Amino acid sequence: MKRLLALILATALCLSALSGCLTQDTVTTDADGAIVLTIPHYKVGANVGARFFLPQVERFNELYAGVYRVEVMEVPNDMYQDQMRQLAIQNQLPPLVEGVPDEIFLLEYLIPNNRFYDLNQWLDNEPELRALLLDANIEHNTFDGKLLSVTYPVVRPATLYYNETLFQPSKPIGEMSWDELLEELGDNTLAFMTSENAWTTMIALTSMIAVQPGGPELLFNHLPDDNKFVEFTNPIFVNAITQLQRVIQTAGHGNTVGAAYADAANAFFSNNAAMIFNGPWMIGDFNADAADRWSNGFDGANVRSNAMPGNVGLDNPLGYGWWIPANTPPEAAEGAWAFISFMMSANELELYMLAEGGTAPNLDESAEFLAARAENALLHQYMGSINSETIVVPYLWNSAPGSIADIEFGRLLPLLIDGTLTPEEFCQQLETSARETMR
Amino acid sequence: MKKLERRNLPWIYLFLLPTILIFALFYCWPIIQVVGTSFTRWNGFSRPAFIGIDNYTRLFNMSSFMVALRNIALWSLIAMTFHVWFGVLVALVFFKQPPGWKIARAAFMVPMVISSAAWAMIYRFIFNNEFGILNNIIRIFNPDFNVNWFFQSPASFWAITFTWLFYAVIISLVVLADLMAIPSEIHEAARIDGAGGWQTLRMIDMPLCRFSIGTSIIMSITSRISMFEAIALTSRGGPGNTTMSLSIILVRGISDRNFGVANATAVVMFVMGIAVLLIINRLFRMNESVY
Repeated sequence: MKRLLALILATALCLSALSGCLTQDTVTTDADGAIVLTIPHYKVGANVGARFFLPQVERFNELYAGVYRVEVMEVPNDMYQDQMRQLAIQNQLPPLVEGVPDEIFLLEYLIPNNRFYDLNQWLDNEPELRALLLDANIEHNTFDGKLLSVTYPVVRPATLYYNETLFQPSKPIGEMSWDELLEELGDNTLAFMTSENAWTTMIALTSMIAVQPGGPELLFNHLPDDNKFVEFTNPIFVNAITQLQRVIQTAGHGNTVGAAYADAANAFFSNNAAMIFNGPWMIGDFNADAADRWSNGFDGANVRSNAMPGNVGLDNPLGYGWWIPANTPPEAAEGAWAFISFMMSANELELYMLAEGGTAPNLDESAEFLAARAENALLHQYMGSINSETIVVPYLWNSAPGSIADIEFGRLLPLLIDGTLTPEEFCQQLETSARETMR
Repeated sequence: MKKLERRNLPWIYLFLLPTILIFALFYCWPIIQVVGTSFTRWNGFSRPAFIGIDNYTRLFNMSSFMVALRNIALWSLIAMTFHVWFGVLVALVFFKQPPGWKIARAAFMVPMVISSAAWAMIYRFIFNNEFGILNNIIRIFNPDFNVNWFFQSPASFWAITFTWLFYAVIISLVVLADLMAIPSEIHEAARIDGAGGWQTLRMIDMPLCRFSIGTSIIMSITSRISMFEAIALTSRGGPGNTTMSLSIILVRGISDRNFGVANATAVVMFVMGIAVLLIINRLFRMNESVY
């Protein structure tokens, strides 16, 4: 008896030691019999995308009450893709994933191992939805006839926002060159984010590349995952960096060096910087219901939008969107598709565009949508500033290796700004790092 | 071994099994894997391909790696010459039990309850050029003062150093415990023999605390080798390579999916840690009895 008890105790000890290895199930059933899909996602909390995404999840849960329910688990923005990589290695991916972490993940894991559901099996039965999607994106997402992912069929170029109380341009900024803009700015400053992935600075830099002959081609040619841009000593890039250095040194806000996104946004939201570069998802921050973020007399009603100098806007037409990992049980995959289909439905697209801007080229916009959009002056103006002449190019970070975008650029940028590195030296160091990465 | 003890041996091992299992599974096996894969090209998805010492050659040819080694050497020197001795000094002050020493000890321990990540963020605010308390105090005397501590070279090196320089709580506690363990008779005998405070400190306290000081130096230097949060959450190794460290290179290897390079970096860190352990053990004669 004593021996048996000791044996049981020892076994229990061993098992308890391994209890931490158990994993949480991302597909369960709730008390109402609905299939619950638990998805980690970054559009939660203070993330700017949460304002639209979380209510959208609620709308889906209401529509599919008793059948499917989506629950969102919070993951920090910059941890999301890394977490998906880790879960993929363990074959524990959630039933819905947005985007792919990197080219290696796509080309060496996802595609060759067929670790995704072919979305065509559902899309072929929904011709209305198929008609809304963008052909170029569908083609980009198709591998051996299988459709990997679906993205919002919305074009919403990132541009710039300026504070009209501080700066009144003599003509639309899209019609100016960077030099003209610098001249007109006078003592006004530009809000730049230079740490982390230097997102807002990258937007300005991309537009400086796009206005040069061969610039748009450079950005588009390196979109494919097996052909990332590493030739940073290319004259087009060196010219753009030279211009960026001058712009930041001349008109960068005082807190530019080391500024995170919050620092750049704060400079703009406090009447300290006259301009910031970002996508239309920022428009919500200028609505009256976001006034708690403003200070020093800032009023979102005074914000205007325009294309970047040279009439440039940034959007990646060839991105990866929502996909369903192959480890998802078939009944949960049906639910996951229902959620994707719901997000891409005409009504949801209109709500999405009202919240975060953009146009859906294949959507017949309803009268209610157009009326609602006209009520939001900034959104209306943003839409008006993008025209058929606008040069829409992908973000530089879509064409560059991940570690250059996430680490190296921001690490070297302070040295470019304070003049320790010349543009040529900066580009050389970036190229060395990029080649090192791609070995 | 007595018969009774021998009979209990299987049970002893059985109850030790969970610990052995955890140690083997979560310590030994990963270390073996890290060493093994450091000789391979591996992106986490494909099968690791043996490439000999290529990853190590690549590391030693990287300028950032050499800067990281130099930074660690400098930080270790600062840790040995200032950080540890600051902790020892605080322990000596507490040992004398001046008025209010308990409150001071509690205050000194406050940083221990703050995670190193939060600590790094606090320093990010302290050193902020625009609204940081440090620059604003300096500007009282010099209104034109402008230094982006974490983003200017070489200021960022010193800013990073400052995040741990005075954070010597563990050292103080370890040394204080050793000081308190010194039999009071020894101090009394010294006093009777006419030894002054300085002589007691030099001839009795310091030699008798040599284990704890040696341990503190080992802890401090190995912390410098593995230091990550303070750098990753502030300067991220920059500007340029000014605050580069091996842990930053390791994490960059992981994000680039160059697990071979990342693991080679980890092996270098491991070897450095073992070397520090052996050298300090020898220097402080830590395998010899104190009393």
